[in-house]
Amino acid sequence: MNPSAPASGLSRRRFLSGSASAALALAAGPPLFSIGTGTGVEKPLRLAVIGFGAQGRVLVEALLKVPDVRIVALCDIWDYARVYGERLLKSNGLEVASYRDIEELLAKEKDLDAAIVATPDVFHAPVTNACLRAGLHVYCEKMMSNSVEGARSMVRTMRETGRLLQIGHQRRSNPRYLVARDRLLGEARLTGRITAAQAQWNRAVSADLGWPKKAAIPADVLAHYGYPDMHTFRNWRWFKKFGGGPLSDLGAHQIDIFNWFLGRLPATVVASGGSDYYKNHEWFDNAMVIYEFPLAEGTARAFYQVQTTTSSGGGYFEQFMGAEGTLRMSENPSLTTIYREAHAPSWEEWVQKNYLRANAAPAPEPGAKVDARETAALATYRLPVVTNKAIHQYHLENFFQAIRGRTKLNCPADEAFHSEYAIFKAIEAVETRQLVTIDEPVV
Amino acid sequence: MTVPQTSAVSFSGPTLAFLSLRLWLGLRALIAGVEKFSARVTIQEPLLGADGAPDPSGAIVEIEKKVYGLSHYHALPDTLTTKFAEEPLLPALLTRPFFAALGPVLLLLGLLLLFGIATRWTLFAMGALYTVLTIGLMLIGQDAGVSWLAVHIGLVALALTLADQNRLTLTRA
Repeated sequence: MNPSAPASGLSRRRFLSGSASAALALAAGPPLFSIGTGTGVEKPLRLAVIGFGAQGRVLVEALLKVPDVRIVALCDIWDYARVYGERLLKSNGLEVASYRDIEELLAKEKDLDAAIVATPDVFHAPVTNACLRAGLHVYCEKMMSNSVEGARSMVRTMRETGRLLQIGHQRRSNPRYLVARDRLLGEARLTGRITAAQAQWNRAVSADLGWPKKAAIPADVLAHYGYPDMHTFRNWRWFKKFGGGPLSDLGAHQIDIFNWFLGRLPATVVASGGSDYYKNHEWFDNAMVIYEFPLAEGTARAFYQVQTTTSSGGGYFEQFMGAEGTLRMSENPSLTTIYREAHAPSWEEWVQKNYLRANAAPAPEPGAKVDARETAALATYRLPVVTNKAIHQYHLENFFQAIRGRTKLNCPADEAFHSEYAIFKAIEAVETRQLVTIDEPVV
Repeated sequence: MTVPQTSAVSFSGPTLAFLSLRLWLGLRALIAGVEKFSARVTIQEPLLGADGAPDPSGAIVEIEKKVYGLSHYHALPDTLTTKFAEEPLLPALLTRPFFAALGPVLLLLGLLLLFGIATRWTLFAMGALYTVLTIGLMLIGQDAGVSWLAVHIGLVALALTLADQNRLTLTRA
């Protein structure tokens, strides 16, 4: 599969036809997707894992904990990664067929149920589209693509084939995020009117990824897949042909949370960013983005920053600030806090419902207030929801349950495309240095 | 006009005062003993919606609950245990059996007092126990605890001075 392969082109009629078939497929429920054996024993879903880099390994580690699924095929263009994967799976009792090329895999593996795609972003669209057309359901890592057209083609192919396409915004299946969105912000309206949001992911400086020299991919193989050299292959996230940069790699998760929690796309975005530290990267190493969300109760502004040159600033989180409280969410529970403004109505009802747990009030520090205009420290609460599984496992399990017709996807490609559109627009704002209007994305 | 009959057991003011003290000291020891078998544990339960059904997210919440059981026995809070362990005049040879017995002894003394069994000696034993505890607290500089136990000792002493007023007992002493 070549990264320059054209994205799927569809006429409006075919697209509508595909949408209708997808809708019918969902309505039909279990019979269409049935993987049952009729004996009451669940037949394991047969999976191919395509792409066994860092993220592929994370997903495989989670997959190994999911019951009733079986990895039967593995695909990666790098022999070194593939052999590692084969050994890892063998040590877990799984003998897998191993492929360098996705087309060969799809030609030979005829009894697959689903594919897990964790390739570099540029291959997401062509690989996913090929798998969908081969009749597989697909779980594809975010970002959907490094281009709007690539992402759009995936939605179209999903609708055309009637297969399921889950995008790996795994927070959408995380019970902590679901409770925060549906219970704390939705039912309890803890924050009151949301006037601002803030999210960030700050990482320390890191060296480019290397590789064992003996394990280098032959130049002709690299060239076949569009890579000029091994350094670009290993560090594809920093190159525009292959990835979307840190706003896409890290920001995609968190800007998706802006959109998901606030229930709509932003209307505009201004941004600044640059490649100011690393001299051999194409993508910027830092960016600061401000979105405007015209909510029903008034405008809320959302600031997002991604830094790849400092881990300072409190790690990674998504924070929603309202007149009565603030919800700071993070995949890391220790970074999650809910703040109650002093004038907010009592939260005792929500504590009693186990939506919240009050933290002990800190002892007042004498002389801590240096300005009469300072607001007193807020009471803090924690989210008592615990996650006993790997953070990707919930999202994968939602995908498999949807295949079995027991639920609907938490992040189908059309919803993910809608949300990721705002990320493409932020990148555009960084590059053009202008305020960018975010229109409703058309598939 | 009828003369009121004298009841078999008379409840004068001093008698009621003693019974109040006996009840208080008995319950105090009993509950202090029971609490040494309690713990706050964190359990995980499904988050429930308003209808009592599990939340659609499948969320599991941690709930802190107070539980009782022999396995939760602890003579003292961890902070005090550490301080006792660091006190050179309180060798483990002495403190270990004392702490092991403290909870059961408090339970026993509380029950003996409430049921009125060997009341005088029970009160004396209670006073002795509180005194020993006071010595320990003095050595580790817990002045607030010393004062608190001094109040207990005072109540025990007062009860002993009123012990002749004892009624509603299982044994005479």
